Amino acid sequence: MNDPVPPRAATGEPVYFEDFEVGQTRAFGAYAVTEAEVVAFGRQFDPQAFHIDPDAAADTVFGGLIASGWHTCGMMMRMVCDDGLPRTAVLASPGFDNLKWLRPVRPGDVLSVRSVVAEKIESKSKPDQGIIKIANTVLNQAGEAVMTITNIAFYRRRPATTVSG
Amino acid sequence: MKYFEDIKAGDVAELAARHVSEADIIAFAVKFDPQVFHTDPEAAKQTAFGGLAASGWHTNALMISMLVERFKTESLAAIGSPGVETCRWLVPVRPGDTLTGRQEVLETWPSKSKPMGFVRSRTDLANQHGEVVMTMVGLGMIARRPEAAA
Repeated sequence: MNDPVPPRAATGEPVYFEDFEVGQTRAFGAYAVTEAEVVAFGRQFDPQAFHIDPDAAADTVFGGLIASGWHTCGMMMRMVCDDGLPRTAVLASPGFDNLKWLRPVRPGDVLSVRSVVAEKIESKSKPDQGIIKIANTVLNQAGEAVMTITNIAFYRRRPATTVSG
Repeated sequence: MKYFEDIKAGDVAELAARHVSEADIIAFAVKFDPQVFHTDPEAAKQTAFGGLAASGWHTNALMISMLVERFKTESLAAIGSPGVETCRWLVPVRPGDTLTGRQEVLETWPSKSKPMGFVRSRTDLANQHGEVVMTMVGLGMIARRPEAAA
């Protein structure tokens, strides 16, 4: 089952807070990890040998070049966006919890995401919004979990005025 | 070289500053977080952000660049991270901001199975107005001093 993004074709309205149900699951994405991108991200943001230098990386505990964990977060976010997040009623994110880098991500890997709606919280102070927590697992092409994270986001609630025939 | 044995709870490091331009924000977001409030200065005005704001992942990427610069300055025997307990993006990071950082060690403990130890620390980034824009509690792995690991 893949729900609740992208938007329902019948109405074209975005996916609101009300459209999420705890336990809803989606599987999506196919992000090909390249050495060039791993090294480019590493050089710009995380210039440790195991992220930027294939030869030096061979002598580290990782035994070869691996993607920065923050690069993996970026790749996950890109897959989440490509899956339709920008067409939902998402407002912003206050952050995340429980980020775990479980296995190295290497050039040649193809990553995907499995997401489960973990929790819905109605905002007490802002009646037009709610908070949704989504537990994401990033998988490699062997089906191994390389990263898990609980993403948190504010979503608009469905305005009463948009309900129409 | 600075090893696990050289780190203790309460240690504080100030992190080198990073300037964030509009072009930086858009370039990162086009690649990794293409939502209009991160990619389109005009459209962003109509969103909850009221204008262009950096992706939180961009802020984290800047944070790791600040931390790695510190690792290198200290010759710290850092060997990666198993993860992050919690991270909050508290205030939007805007074009023209200059971020500074501070990391405080909360606790340390040696690995039972490998010649390394774990360091749990809190990292805060602030903007030029002194507002904390991001706060994070995460773990790092640091090699033990070779003779002590024997």
